[in-house]
Amino acid sequence: MSWLGAAFEWQSRAVLRRHLRVYLRSWHTNFLPPATEPVMMLLAFGLGLGPYVPTVRWHDRDLAYMTFVGPGMIAYATFMTASFQSLYAAFIRMRYQRTWEGQLTTQIELPHVVWDEILWAAFLATTYAAIVSVVLTVCRGLGLLQFDPTRLPLLLPMAFLAGCAFASLGLCFTAVIPTIDHMNLPVFLLILPLGFVSSTYFPLPPAVASTLAWANPLYHLAESYRGVLLGGIVASHLIALAGFIAVMVGVLVPLDMRLLRGRVLGD
Amino acid sequence: MIHTDRPALLEGRGLVKHLGGHRVVDGVDLVCREGEVLGLLGPNGAGKTTTLRMLYGFLTPDAGRIAFRGREIAGTMRDAKREIGVCTQDDTFDTDFTVEQNLWVAASYFRPRPAGMRERVADLLDRFELRPFARQTPETLSGGYRRRLMLARAIVHRPRLLFLDEPTTGLDPQARMAVWDLVGNLRAEGLAIVLTTHYMEEAERLSDGVTVLAQGKVVAHGTTASVLGDLVGEHVVVVEVDAATKTDVAGWLSRRGMADPVGVLGAWHVPLRGEELAEFARDFPALRYEVRTPTLDDLFLKLAVRP
Repeated sequence: MSWLGAAFEWQSRAVLRRHLRVYLRSWHTNFLPPATEPVMMLLAFGLGLGPYVPTVRWHDRDLAYMTFVGPGMIAYATFMTASFQSLYAAFIRMRYQRTWEGQLTTQIELPHVVWDEILWAAFLATTYAAIVSVVLTVCRGLGLLQFDPTRLPLLLPMAFLAGCAFASLGLCFTAVIPTIDHMNLPVFLLILPLGFVSSTYFPLPPAVASTLAWANPLYHLAESYRGVLLGGIVASHLIALAGFIAVMVGVLVPLDMRLLRGRVLGD
Repeated sequence: MIHTDRPALLEGRGLVKHLGGHRVVDGVDLVCREGEVLGLLGPNGAGKTTTLRMLYGFLTPDAGRIAFRGREIAGTMRDAKREIGVCTQDDTFDTDFTVEQNLWVAASYFRPRPAGMRERVADLLDRFELRPFARQTPETLSGGYRRRLMLARAIVHRPRLLFLDEPTTGLDPQARMAVWDLVGNLRAEGLAIVLTTHYMEEAERLSDGVTVLAQGKVVAHGTTASVLGDLVGEHVVVVEVDAATKTDVAGWLSRRGMADPVGVLGAWHVPLRGEELAEFARDFPALRYEVRTPTLDDLFLKLAVRP
């Protein structure tokens, strides 16, 4: 079994079904954050900040701030959901609920468990991105922002693949962090700064966008979403995003497996 | 009784495992035959759980080979795991599901899928007396019933071999005996079992044979009585020692090449063979002492003080 092949085996599907079953049992509460958060953000930014920022310059176009921030919110939801699932939810299953250990006494093997955490985080990230998209479509109907809603489905495969990459990064920290309190380290030193330097909620100054942000996959995800939904330059960001996803998944997933083998199995 | 005539179901030869730079398991050989219960005994740190974890595929041995039904499991572990059930020492059930759902979810982790699952789950809920708690989450169960669930979950897919890692540790006597009954029933049905335990009574009641580990090596194999006789002695003399008797008894032991025995609450526990006990009685006619049969505690204490 190769590290990649494990993702497509029946064991991975069996554990994914388990996660889905647990999730759907309390779907009404689980769907609440992704559905309400964008509404809150739109209210806060639209009614609060919007009047002070009438337009935003983006690729030689002037956009209403709400139009600029909408795709960024979808990217932010994708990133945060995948990251927090692979950090907190995976850590709780591994350390406190000992779900992994129970699964590993069956025909489920560690590569399946690792892939399941990544695929599940990516699935939730895609689902939340879809929910945010629906909320934004409603807001568009109310005239709060502009974008081409027929292009929204194009975002979902991008959200899934980017979710896999972000989750593979999160699992690296899950594998090495001693207690859940230490999660503050990657969250405040990496995840939130990446979210900050990403052009999700505000446009980056050209100097930052051309240097620091290019090393941030979330920046390319936000710009790709924006380019797809608003029409504009998207190829360079899509290529950069695809490169990030390939490298992160190709390097970090085998690393996750190695680190978690030591942590979970003691091997 | 050890059934040497039965074919070997699980066989480990020359197993070696290093963890954290230490040689935790050092050339362990063991065999569990069809329908046999093998007790794996030893003090803490002897390498029991590491050996068990290698046998059920959690850890990869650094050296040695493991065969299940005559086939080496390196490369075929996935097939072997279909016929293996594992009940770990700590509770590892899925706390997101009810007792009954735990059985269903555990079964979903095996291929080919276990047949007749509806009847199987109903049967396990009844046999393990979990029916009244079927819709509760495992966290609400008492320690004894949690063990029952762990056991039921470990055999939901009808394995041929069951690993039990200290199945009754931490249980009260009533719950412990209930688990013994359940394990005894599984044994009677022909399920082969490898169990680790600290309890002599458990090893005696449940095991056909025992393998004793100390410092990662097998130090004895056989029936519990023969192993205790070989490693500890036939009798244990319990002497309340004061300053005078301590010197006399220590001198008597020293002349026979024996080290000072283990002291427990001011009493010395001296393992002796039959002829040594006769000599002891002859040499200390005025000393008050008690003679009892050896237990696993004596064995573990003796192994723990080995150089």
